[in-house]
Amino acid sequence: MNAPALRARGLVKRFGALAALRGVDLEVNYGTIHAILGPNGAGKTTLLRILAGLSRPSGGEVVLNREDGNSIEPRKARSEIGYVGHATLLYSELSARENLLFAAKLYGVSDARQRADALLEAEGLHEVADLRAGAFSRGMAQRLAIARACIHDPKIILLDEPFTGLDRPSADRLAARLDNLRGQSRALVLITHDLCLAADLADRVDTLIRGRVSFQASAGDITLERLEASILGPASSPPQGAEPSDAGADA
Amino acid sequence: MNVALAILWKDLLTEWRSRDRVIAMLLFSLLVVVVFHFALPSGTRVGVVENAAGLLWVAYIFAANIGLNRSFALELENDALSGLALAPGERGWIFTGKALANFCLIGIVQAVTAFVFALAFDLDLLGIALELAGVVALGSFGICTAGTLFSAMSVRTRLREVLLPILLLPALFPVLAGVVAGTRSLIIEGNVSFEAIQLLLVIDGIYLVVSFLGFEYILDE
Repeated sequence: MNAPALRARGLVKRFGALAALRGVDLEVNYGTIHAILGPNGAGKTTLLRILAGLSRPSGGEVVLNREDGNSIEPRKARSEIGYVGHATLLYSELSARENLLFAAKLYGVSDARQRADALLEAEGLHEVADLRAGAFSRGMAQRLAIARACIHDPKIILLDEPFTGLDRPSADRLAARLDNLRGQSRALVLITHDLCLAADLADRVDTLIRGRVSFQASAGDITLERLEASILGPASSPPQGAEPSDAGADA
Repeated sequence: MNVALAILWKDLLTEWRSRDRVIAMLLFSLLVVVVFHFALPSGTRVGVVENAAGLLWVAYIFAANIGLNRSFALELENDALSGLALAPGERGWIFTGKALANFCLIGIVQAVTAFVFALAFDLDLLGIALELAGVVALGSFGICTAGTLFSAMSVRTRLREVLLPILLLPALFPVLAGVVAGTRSLIIEGNVSFEAIQLLLVIDGIYLVVSFLGFEYILDE
């Protein structure tokens, strides 16, 4: 389909006097990974939480275009969004399987047990499925969080630094999993500080600096050098071939 | 409704494994009973019987406050609250599940407290146990509906331990008026007036509808 999965227009978010987002435009297509880069405090997590419908913007709008062509606010289409946040959203007292079953019940997944078992297998957690999530290492918990986000087979998956705390094999496994989800025509938004990963995985990259998109690049234009330059700030102008959406605003 | 049942299952299971809320509430309410036991002069049985309902509900209310405070505070661990907020459908069902879990846990504490209270003050509550359970359940329903809503409202604030009772206690005055009157007439006269039950039913109904509908906006940041 041609319409983007997610379209944000002029997103503004203020926390009192602080403007976390200052007019962000974004389009995320089905079958792509859209990476969002930026230094700490740039507004990346705020943006993701608005896209997920967890937070209301102070201005602007987010529209989700379903594959059937209908448009809807993310808040009204929560069943089509999977979210992996900074925190894992897991209950320490529940086992891995119970956490997934609980999430499945929240989303009304009909074949909850089979779906949970399949995801535990996919994430390599089937052997620890009955252990409490509180006993998991950071990497295992992160993999379980990703399984939780996928329990209802969402069309749009939002990931906030999902590679944090993962060892190399786990990170590779997650990268392959994201690539696989892209192949299934999912739209993925990935916040990361890992520029190599963004350069390798992403079809499109936006760099946020102080609440504004200061740099955009599409597949083919994405190189590690350009991404590094986009993060470095005022000294670095958008490199040739890139599309500066808000040139000179903050960067 | 499935969402409510899922949350009820999850809350009861996590409480069964940790037991932190029930034990905290129970210890507190029993300590209040012990304090009353020593505070009230011995040999004043008539005065105790007349005020037993009020004393019992003081223990109930403050114990419930502890449990309600923890109800959503537990959801802050790993930002599980966001996980609930992301669930599709009517958020009122999230409220319903949390309120039902609170109702069950507070009910256990109330039953044990009533038993100890009866022993401490030499009251015969056994003969009116069923009626008392009904009246207490009606009062507890009001506490849990309003309390769950205010617990969710205050959970993201820095002063949530203080804020919850400040918000909740004034809202519970109508419930307390009805439930203390009902409990008092049960203990003294052995029966409860229909007017007291009616008042509680109306208040519970109002709190339920307001909380169910209002919850849609409470989980937003």
